[in-house]
Order: sequence, then C-alpha cells, then structure tokens
Amino acid sequence: MKPRIIPGKELNGFIKGLMERAELYAPKERDTSPFPANPASDENPPALDAAEHSAGTPPVNGNREVSQFFRDTTEFRHITDPAQVNLDHLNTKLPLKELFLPRREVMFTFDTDTPERVEPVEAVAAERIVLGARPCDAAALEMFDRVFLDEATPDPYYRARREKTTIIGLACNEPGPACFCTAVGGSPHGSAALDLLLVDSGDRYLARPMTAKGEALVAHLPEATAPDIEKAAGLEQEARAAMKFTSDTAALQEKLKAGFDHKAWDEIALPCVNCGVCTYVCPTCHCFDVTDEESHGRGARIRTWDSCQFSLFTRHASGHNPRPTGRDRLRNRMMHKFRYFPAVHGTVLCVGCGRCIVECPSGIDLRETLTTLQEELE
Amino acid sequence: MMADTNPVPSTVSGDFEPRIVAFLCNWCSYAGADLAGISRIQYPPSIRVVRVPCSGRVDPFYILKALQQGADGVLVSGCHPGDCHYLTGNYVARRRFAVLHDLLGFFGIEPGRVSFSWVSAAEGERFAEVVREVTERVRALGPSNRLADARLTEKAERAG
Amino acid sequence: MPRPTAVEQQLRARARELLEKREVAGVLGFRAGTLPGTCVPFLATEPGDADRLVLNRDCAANLAAWLPRLRHRGRIAVVARGPDSRSIVNLVKENQVERDRLHIIGVADPDDTQPVRNPVVFDEFLGERAPDSPPDDYADIREFEALPPAERWQALLDELSRCIRCYACRQVCPNCYCPTCFVDASRPAWVGRTPDPSDNVLFHMVRAIHMAGRCVECGACAKACPIGIPLMIINRKVSLIVRDRFGSVPGTDPDAPLPLTAFDSEDREEFIR
Repeated sequence: MKPRIIPGKELNGFIKGLMERAELYAPKERDTSPFPANPASDENPPALDAAEHSAGTPPVNGNREVSQFFRDTTEFRHITDPAQVNLDHLNTKLPLKELFLPRREVMFTFDTDTPERVEPVEAVAAERIVLGARPCDAAALEMFDRVFLDEATPDPYYRARREKTTIIGLACNEPGPACFCTAVGGSPHGSAALDLLLVDSGDRYLARPMTAKGEALVAHLPEATAPDIEKAAGLEQEARAAMKFTSDTAALQEKLKAGFDHKAWDEIALPCVNCGVCTYVCPTCHCFDVTDEESHGRGARIRTWDSCQFSLFTRHASGHNPRPTGRDRLRNRMMHKFRYFPAVHGTVLCVGCGRCIVECPSGIDLRETLTTLQEELE
Repeated sequence: MMADTNPVPSTVSGDFEPRIVAFLCNWCSYAGADLAGISRIQYPPSIRVVRVPCSGRVDPFYILKALQQGADGVLVSGCHPGDCHYLTGNYVARRRFAVLHDLLGFFGIEPGRVSFSWVSAAEGERFAEVVREVTERVRALGPSNRLADARLTEKAERAG
Repeated sequence: MPRPTAVEQQLRARARELLEKREVAGVLGFRAGTLPGTCVPFLATEPGDADRLVLNRDCAANLAAWLPRLRHRGRIAVVARGPDSRSIVNLVKENQVERDRLHIIGVADPDDTQPVRNPVVFDEFLGERAPDSPPDDYADIREFEALPPAERWQALLDELSRCIRCYACRQVCPNCYCPTCFVDASRPAWVGRTPDPSDNVLFHMVRAIHMAGRCVECGACAKACPIGIPLMIINRKVSLIVRDRFGSVPGTDPDAPLPLTAFDSEDREEFIR
C-alpha cells in the first residue's frame, strides 16, 4: 500500500471527508467549565486578598508541570465540526478504550415481574472512524482483541464496535516525560491495530495505510516521495531515542514467578492509596464487573469498568477477601501486566503510554516500580 | 410504605399529585400522624410514611436517595427539641439536617423539596397542617427533576 | 536534584537522628517523584533514607491519611504541615490514631494557598513559622452562590457527570477510613456502580456531608482527581456551613468535640417548621 501525503497539513478537508463517511471520533477539548472564571481572568482582575488565591479551580492534578501535556483534551468525543478536532496534544487524559469498552454498557433489560423474560440489547454499532489515536492506545486494542475476540467466547458488543471502527493513528514525534512505549515493545510510530497512520513531518502529513480500509481514506491523495518516507523514518528514530527507559520484561516475568512474597512489594505499595486511577486511565486495563440495576419494577444487567485496586473487586459473598490489603492489590496489577498476561498471551499488558505515571495521586512511577522489581527480585 | 410501583413519574399538569416520602420518628411524629388518622383529620394522600426510631436515625443519604428514586419531596419529622425519647437524638439530627439543607440549596435544589418539622404525639392537627403545607409547596414546584435518576424516566418510557 | 532548602536539611538531620536512636520505626514524609512537580509519600526506616526526604509545594498528599495504615509499624514520626496536623487532630478524636504513638514534626506548609499553613499540634517544630493567612472570606463560594439555582445545579451536574468513579478523592482523604464505604455497600447497594450522573451526584453529595466538620481543606482530593473536577468548591461550602452555623473550624482545636457529633440546644433551626 502506497504512502500518501496531506500537503500543507490541510486537515480540514480530510476531516470533512471522514465525517461524510462515518461518525468521527477524535480528541476534543471539553466545553468551557461553567465555573466562575479564574480569579486572574480579564473580567476578574487579580485579587489582592491572599485568601482568594485558595479559591478558583485547583490544579488539574497534583502534578503541576507535567499535566500540561494532558490537560487540553480529556477524551475521544464525537466530532460534529472539524474545528473541534484537537490533535495538538500528547495524549488524551482517558484512553481510546472507552470507545470499545464503555464505562457502562447495558446488556439486557427485564421486568422484575417476569424475570425469566429478558430483552437483550443487540450488539450493533455504527460505522465509526477514530482520528488521532496514538500508537500506544491503538496497540492496546490488539491486547483487548486477545481477551474479547477469543475464539471460544468472543464478546459480541466489543466485536461489533471493533469491526465497525476505522482507526487513524497519529505518530508521536515528541514523546512526553512519562512515555516508555519502546520499553514494552511499542514504537512512537507503531502501526499495531491501525488502519492508517499519520506522521506530522513539518509542512505535511505522511499518511501510511496499513489496511484496505485505511487505504480507501487516502487513495485520492498524492503519493509520498522517497524523501517524505526518509524524513518520517528519521523522526521515528529521534522519537525512539528520546525515550531512555528500558526494561527486560522477559527476565522480569521469570523473576515475578518467584517474587510473589518478596518484601519489595511493601515498599512499592506504601505510597499507593488503592484508588482506581491507574486502571481507569490505562488503555490496556480491561477488567469489568457485571451487576443488575433495578428500580420501580424495571431492571437492567450492566457491564461496567472495574478496578483490581478496589477491595470490592475480590471480596467474596461470604465477606472473605483473598486480596485483603492494598499491597496485595497493587501486586496483582503488576503481576497481571507483567507475569500472568504474558504467560497466557505472550505479550506484556502495558503499552507505555505513561498515563498511570502522570495521573497517580501519589506520584508512583511504573518505570521506577519495574526497576525496583528487576533489582530486588532474584 | 404504601404499594406504589407505578414507574411513570407524575407529569406537569393540573392534577399533579406529588409523591412525598415522610420519615417519621416512632415516638412523636408517627404517633402524631396516627392521632390525625383516628381523629379523622383530612390531609392530602401525598405522603408515604417510613417509620424510624428517631429523627436521629435519618441519614441525609436516605433523603437524597428518596429524591433520586423519584420522590417529589421528602419530609422528616421528629420530636420537639427537648422531647426526644433518646434525649438528644433530634438535636444531633438537627445539625445534620442543617448541613444537608444548606448543601441542597448550594446545589441549586429547590428549598421546598426537603422539609423538616417537629410534631409531637399530641399534635394530630399540626401533623395534618404540616402535610398540607409541604404538599402544596411541592405541588407548586412540580415534579422533581434535579436529583431524579434519568434512568428511571428512560425505563418508564420503554415500559410505555 | 535541587539543593535542599534549610528546612529540608533540618528535617533530614532530625529524621536521621530519630532513626539512628531507634526512637521511631519510621519517619513519614515525602521523597521526590520521578516527574517534575511530583512528590511521593515516603516512609524512611533507615538512617540512610533520611536524605531522600523533601518538602515543597508539590507535596500534594495529606500524610495523615497514611497513619491509620501504619499503626502496626509502631511509633511513627510524621512530617506535619498545617493541613496534615489538622487531620491528625481529627483522627485522634475519631480514635483512628493514638497521639502518644506519634511523633509529630511540625513544619510550615510551603504551599502559601493553604488557609492554615502552620501545624496545629506538634512535638517539635522545624524551620520558620509561616505568616498567618488572612481569615478566609470564602469569596469563591460566595461568587458561585450568587449564580441562580438552576445554573448552580447545571454547573455541578456538568462537573460531577465527568466523574469516572475511580475514588481517588476518597482514597487520598484522611477522613475516609471506613472499612466499607457507602458506595461499596452491596446489601443493599445504595449507589449504582456505574458513573451515571445521578449516582455521581449522590456519591459526591453524601461524601461532602460526611466531610462536614472534618474536612481540613487540604485539597488532596481535588489534586488527586484525574479529570480535574473542582471538588473543593463543594468541600469548602461544607466548611463554610460548619463555620457559620456551629462556629467550628475542623482540626484546629484538639479539645473541641467534632461539630456533627455534638449539639447546642440553641442551634439555629430557621429551616425547621
């Protein structure tokens, strides 16, 4: 498939074309906060009273400097106007996964009078195009596929969405301070699970199709020249070189087998408060819960995101909890990603997007955790 | 609670009859309601009574939950200050309700949705009066739509 | 690594001394995080750990939240700024930590936006006291309250609808130590598991009510929120209610009862019929 170019980085027409084909999803800034303007805004001159400085919107999270990379766009949202698309960011705050595994999904509904009769929710999805997926987020979908498109028990809802979605990636030329995709087998210009990859090469986008679906979107565009392709290769090398962290994940998998009760876990877990931030912002975490909601005679069986960091995740009906402490739960997350999942599926369950690092309220860095485990476990 | 499984929320119309959950303390207000009943005092059939041991038993959460689950209003009633069967339950409850009352206002929930009153076992007429007043206030506000769970409406629509 | 500040130097020296003399099992403070602008809660247990301690305005967590979990470790020294110390006062009142098993190293809060920067209780004080902040006029709350009710509701609903229910706000809060939170109760399941707007509002309102008379406005919850919901606008309103109605500023008076467990027979009841 021939790489093409979008000259002059003129995306407007391209985006319009996408919108004509299907529902378009892309990173979009959230609508303006309805809260009182920042004390320092134009309408409200800076307050002299020191107490006022404690007012207003607090920093986005504890991480003042780094969150600027993530602040602008929260999520992939439905685009109704090309101007809403914002590709000028490193990564969305929440990963792509919500478009495939929604936070809340109704599977069937029922009347409580006739619980034996359920009304299933059909697994149908609209034709969609996702624009601006980072290679790490897309790579996570290949991991999801292993779980949800398992041959014996494929998930109909996931499958419908996955089949109907064309994914256009956006290569990373300037990885952020928390990025480490190269350490877990990814690349800032990686093409896993993508139909088309856009590379920003200064005055133009290089559009590299991976599938027929992707090719159809760019067939009308001029072909890329050899210098275009060379330049993109150079950008990839630069981006790769910007990420210093490495980890021998195969060796770690072996070490983790024997390291279940190692004392290192205590130190690693001390700052952890066992909130669900790392799991919910993680593009690869896919655990879910299934519950029944019922009121006023109507019920629904729903699937929701769940987090292994919650005590409720493993609490039995009897009250017994096999993972009673925060340390147990943090260890499970690491074990799942770097030992159990690789053992079953042959790949670590991490794409190195760095969201868990940036968003952790306690400032825990997964890279540091991996290094500690490499060093301390035998 | 009275059997009322009608999932369709009352709609705005001339005959809107609000549904009000009333948490009544066992020792005073519930007895007051009883007295109103045996005295054949008329009051609107808008309340669904939940008997609680003391107004101090009423967690603000119960009140919010009632509104979420489709109540148009909530009434909490207990013994007059100084008359609590458990001596101080209503005093402690009063502080809790004060916080809830102010917070509801802050959230922009109409002040008339949630009412508090002290009604003794001897005050049958007063109980009826409270219910009349609360009912009229909620009726004037119309069906509750701020805290109410949108999923209920969806379900009701599906159910036809 | 930036050069340690004067108070950091004192803190490290003192932590080393306490650990060398085995006076405490650990010194709870912060170490530098890997990303700029981050600090990680850290328990120094060996004298050699002492030099890793830092203290700056990026230390977002309220360390008191770690104390109930560390009870089994024995006597702990804790670095306490204004908000940490206020939370310790509350936790002692609520029987979650034992005062005599804590060694409180008081320091002024480097974050000058805190309404109370100097520690309320301490066993020793390092560095210099911060100037007293002017009395809080809750201008942000008053500004928000000036909006019409429908706009307030819409604003809060919009914000809270974004909540993904990761419970970071709850988990970093020293006030939240219940073995089973009301949102996690399953028999009955009071609050739906899903981030439905109505359940989100219910969660945050009830959480705010549980904070009444206990929240020290450290802001850890708002800083922890991964999607930046301005939680302090709710918590500060609750603080304002408690101050106006009951004359209580949480965690500033070790001898006063918690306002929501106490009462005054003359409490204002203008809202009760």
